[in-house]
Formats: sequence, C-alpha cells, structure tokens
Amino acid sequence: MKKLLSLFMTVILIGSIIPNQFIKANDSLIYLESDYERLHAVIQHVENVLKYGHEYNPETALLPDAINTLTGEPARWTFPNRAAVPYSNLANQQNFYRTLVGLSRVTGSEKYKNEAMDILSEFMTNYQSPNGLFNWGGHRAINLDTLEVQSTEGPNGPHELKNMMPYYELMLEVDEERTLRFMKQLWTAHFYWSSTDMNRHGSYSTAFDNNVFGQAIPDHVIQFDEDGNPIIPADSPGLLPFVNSATDLAYAAFALSNHTGDPVPALWAKYLMTQYNRASHPVTGMTVYQYKSTLVTRSPIECADPAYTNSGCGDRVARQFRDFGSIAREANVAWKNTQAVYVDNILMLLEAADKYGVTDFVDWARQYMEGYLEYAYIRVDGKNMIVPMFIDGTITYGYVVPQVGYFGPSNMRLDYVPMPTTYLLPILRTILQTEGTQNQEKLWGYFRDIVYTYGLGDIGEVGGANPKLNLDTSIDDPYALMAMVELYDKTKNIDYLNVARTIGNNIVSEKFHRGFFVESEIMLYSRLDQPDTLALLTLDAVVRGISLSEMPFYLADSGYIHGYLLADDGVTEDRSYTQNVIYTKTIYD
Amino acid sequence: MKRIVFMFIFMLSFFLLQGCQNEEETIPDNDIDVYRLLMDAEDLSGMANQTKSIITVDGDLGLPMSYQGVTITYASRNASIISNLGVVTRPNECWIESRDQQGLNPEDYENLNDNWPVLLDVTLTYEGQTRFAKLLFVVAPREGFTCQKYLG
Repeated sequence: MKKLLSLFMTVILIGSIIPNQFIKANDSLIYLESDYERLHAVIQHVENVLKYGHEYNPETALLPDAINTLTGEPARWTFPNRAAVPYSNLANQQNFYRTLVGLSRVTGSEKYKNEAMDILSEFMTNYQSPNGLFNWGGHRAINLDTLEVQSTEGPNGPHELKNMMPYYELMLEVDEERTLRFMKQLWTAHFYWSSTDMNRHGSYSTAFDNNVFGQAIPDHVIQFDEDGNPIIPADSPGLLPFVNSATDLAYAAFALSNHTGDPVPALWAKYLMTQYNRASHPVTGMTVYQYKSTLVTRSPIECADPAYTNSGCGDRVARQFRDFGSIAREANVAWKNTQAVYVDNILMLLEAADKYGVTDFVDWARQYMEGYLEYAYIRVDGKNMIVPMFIDGTITYGYVVPQVGYFGPSNMRLDYVPMPTTYLLPILRTILQTEGTQNQEKLWGYFRDIVYTYGLGDIGEVGGANPKLNLDTSIDDPYALMAMVELYDKTKNIDYLNVARTIGNNIVSEKFHRGFFVESEIMLYSRLDQPDTLALLTLDAVVRGISLSEMPFYLADSGYIHGYLLADDGVTEDRSYTQNVIYTKTIYD
Repeated sequence: MKRIVFMFIFMLSFFLLQGCQNEEETIPDNDIDVYRLLMDAEDLSGMANQTKSIITVDGDLGLPMSYQGVTITYASRNASIISNLGVVTRPNECWIESRDQQGLNPEDYENLNDNWPVLLDVTLTYEGQTRFAKLLFVVAPREGFTCQKYLG
C-alpha cells in the first residue's frame, strides 16, 4: 500500500513537472541539420567569392563587386571605347564584409574577419585620395587589371555615396586614422557651410579640413509660413540635397562622434536631418526627398524644351507636373525615390537612435512611416501597393503626363507603385524601438496587413501574441527573414523563428546555385552586396543564442556604379547603372 | 487493491486530461479567426468590384456595409463626388486641366486628365477588433463639364 501511494505521489510530481520542462525545451533551441545546411551554403559562397575573387589578380587582395557564376571571372564595366574593365568598388561590398565578420562570430573562426580586414587595409592604404575621400562610390572604382582608379563619369568622376552606409566599426578597427579622415572629408566635400547647401557630388580636389565641424551651426534652412507650412527655398544652384546622400553624411558624423567622444559632428548630423523633418508635411507627416529646390540658372530658350531636364532649369517636378500647382516640387513626390525616403533613411535614423542615443529619430521615423502608410498604402488584388500622391495627400493616380520630363516620357500614366519587401524592416524596427504598446498599435496594424499580404500569414497581435504564421511559406526573401528573426529576438515566440527557418531554407534552395548566392537560378552574377548571406547569419546567430546586438547589422544594399558605358547594341554610348546593365544579365545572355 | 489501482488510473487520467485542457486554454484561436475574417471582408465582400473601371453614372455604388458579421464603414476623401455611403455624384468640372510648357492649352491636351481619382478609407470591425483598408475609384465628370482650372 505504501509503495502504491509512493508511486502515486511520484506520478503526480512528474505530472506537475512535465509542462515546465516543455516550456524549457522551447527556450533552449536545438541546432538542426537544416540550420547546418544553411550555414554550410553561406560558407561555400564566401569561400568561392574569396577563391575566385583573389584568383583573378594575385597582386591584390581586392575583390570584384560581382562574380560571374559560370566562369568565376569578375563582372566588367564596358566603356564606350570597348574597354571591358573588371571593377572593385568597396562602397558596394559592405554587406560582404558584414557577412565575413558575422561568419567569424557564428563559427568562432577569425579567418573570415581577418580576410575582411586585409581587404579593407589594402584599400584604405592605397586608395584614399590625398584630400581624404576614398576612391569608391557611384562614379569611381578600382580597375582589377591595372589596380588604378577608374572613373565611370568622364576622366574625373566625383565622389558620391547614396545610402551605402559603410561598415565604419570595422574600418575604424582596421585603420582608425584613415577612417576618421574620410568621415571628416565627406562633410568638407559635400556640405556647403556658407549656404547650407548639400551636394550629392563631392570633389576630390577639395582640400582636407581637419576643423571641418568648427563653424557655428546656422539657422534652420526650413522656415515656416504664417499657416505653419514649411517653405522650401528654391535657391540651390543645382546641388540637389537628396536625402539618400544626407543619410550617409549623417551616419558618418554620428559614427565619428561616437568614436572620438566629440559631440559636435553629431550635432551637425542632427541639424542636417532636422531640415528634412521640418520640411515634412504638417498634416500628413510624410517627409521629403530634398529640402531645397534648384535655382533657375539656365536661359528660358534652353529650358523651353521639356526634354532638356537639366536642374538649372529649375525644379523638375514643377516643370513636368505643373498642372498640380505649388505642391508639385521634387521634394514632395511620394511615388518615386520612396526606397531612399522610407527605407534607407528610416533604417539610418533608427540605427542612430539605437547606437548613438538620438531618441528623437524614433519619433520622426514613426511620424514618417505612419503618415506614409495611412495616406498611401493600399492592398490591390492581394498585393501591397502605394497610391501615387504628393506628400500633402494630393493623389496623382491615373494622371497622364502631358510632356516628356525628368520623371518619364509624355503620355506616361501614373499607376499604383508596388511596395517591395524592403519596407518590412523599417516598419518593424520603428515599432520595436517605439516605447509603449499604445504607440505601436497603428504601425503594427499596417505591418500585420503587409506581412499577411506577402503570404507569411498572421503575425498576431501587437507584441507578438497569438501569431498564426504560414510555416510552409514559399517566400525566399532576406528582408522577410530578417524581420522574422528580429521579431523572434524581441518576443522569443518560437513561431517567428520557425517561419524564419522556412524562409532561410527557401533562400538556400532558390538562390544558392553553382556555389554562389544569386537572385535566382538563371542570374549570371553573384553580387557581393546582396543581403541574403547576412540575413542567413542573423538567423544562425539567434539559433545559437548569440544576441543580434553582437552581430553586424543590416542597413542597406544600395551600392551601384553609374556612368558612361557601351550600350547593348555594341555601338552606341549609354549612361546607366550596374543594376540595369550588368546585374540583369542571365546565364543565357 | 483493485480499487487503489482504479483510483490511481483515474487520477492519472484526470491529470493528463487537465494538462490537455490547460494547453487548449493557452492557445485560443478566436482572435486569429477574427483577423482572417477581417481580411476576408476586404477581399471577398465585393467592395472593390467597381474599382476596375471608370464610373460614368450617378448613384449608389452598392458598397457592402457588412460581411459575415463584420461591420464595414467608409470615409471618403472627396465626399462631394463619392459620399461616405458610397453614393456617386459626378462633378461638373474636370479633375486637372493640363497645359504645355508655356502654359498654353492646345487641343492635344484636352480631356487628358478629366477623370477624378477618389480614395475611400474603409474601417472593418468585428467584436471590438478593427482593421483598415482603402479603395480607389475613378469617376468621370458629368456630360457638359467645364475644364478651366489650370494651377501651374
């Protein structure tokens, strides 16, 4: 009898313990075979990039921007004179260096990070202009045949960074002096202190100024009229202060202040980003692409031809969309350049808030995203879309453009604009960095709809309760993967991790071909700046219990080269981007 | 002895069933169904039927006000053309008067941008849960409309 009672009590005791053990089993993750297979694919990709990249010219550690996955050869830029140049542009390779560091972090092997440091060291030692700017960006690269600087924009192409957001933490570790010199010169070359203009193009001839941030911060460029509306001055002599260049300037200044402890560069960065905030619409909250319009410097005769779109003829939207009146300005367009305004810009603001304590930026990000989604986000035929409009909410959908202009040909009809998956991260990170559930609810509602519409299922209520995700999703998207990983990291709800694993598996099965990650099986080139490998490593990190704060962070993959090249007809001269003419090539071309 | 064994089995079954019941309580699926119902209300209620063509007559669009228990309301961003109840009153003037670079108005640009885009904000509610959607309609002006409102 006593034995039976004892057995009975034991059973009850075990029964009361078992549920807790199940909970604990969910907390401590098991590294699965499929986790290993994904990591193995990333390692193979990295090893192949290093092998074939280094093989082409053993005289240098520099890597090409992209590798031909059939031949292992570097991608080439073909100039109008038919010279086909293998190019290395380190501004376009930042996600590869983040991948290398992330791979060292998850494998415990320093060899990948050391590779990244060796490449960056050679580049910074040999390819920094005397004035401090690096030879990289939109119009300059290194010729991997001659190891000389090659300009794609005439003989002396300018310096241009647009949302490239270099991996400054690593650069500072490799060569602190040269990195700090670059961060300062980025402002000297691009910011006009006397007129508060900013130019996306910077000159390699501008002298280095060690005291670049020494001037007093001026009054705000953006003032308000009596009704509280921002006045966008039309006095910029063709300099075009685009937000996609401002994000790079601000990011460099914040990183500079953080590293040196000098608060002044960060104050200038905040001043610069404040102009975009002040220029945003007071009712809708939507923000602007630029905080100035251009000054008319060309003659009326030149500008009478609508096909002549030089900014010296004034604001190009005011010319082509004049039917809409005063709201029609380049600053106010909310259907073009939206990736720069609502994705890259937001990610930089949130990074600055998180790492450098600029907490206002979270509120700004929330204002911009809420305004944009409330006014312009629409679901059409089961797809996420944007209604074309100006930032005051004036709809331009269906408008037939009367004349040719900077924004397109005549008779072009404005239609819905597809919302790509790149929007997932800025919306989610804004939610996660916003204090208070009540303040998160509005964006969460949009985020929930957007995720559902992409086919990922229901993410549940704000905070991550009761998700019902599509664990069999066929989505193979790195931004969706990072969003699910970051949701898991914040909520520890295993459902997010499970769907992240599915997406990760899909990425490997759909994009890993011939030993490289490519956009799809038929695409010829593997781009070093692709975000897939970094996204897969963030998943690997959380499975291993490594905090995302210890991993390199995704910020952008906007790297490109722009300039003159030989058109596909093999005869005429063209002016285009790598994204349009090189990374569109398939294995059948 | 048999009674004790029976009691033991009974108690064990009770605890196991209790465990199952607790598990069910921790994963309620009502909310998830509501969200899907709210999505279905947008996708399947037929509210978007007339967004694919230009509306050329006055009258009720017949927008659904409910769907399987979901209450649907509309707020028009241009209520003089489409009311909050979905009733169309075609405008007497064109949407945009287009002109050329010099502000002249040659015949080439006539009727280029006559039709009005009108957005409706949709609110879908079920048992206290709400989500939002949008509908975009295009409405032609009525016969004999005027077009003298150049803004450039």
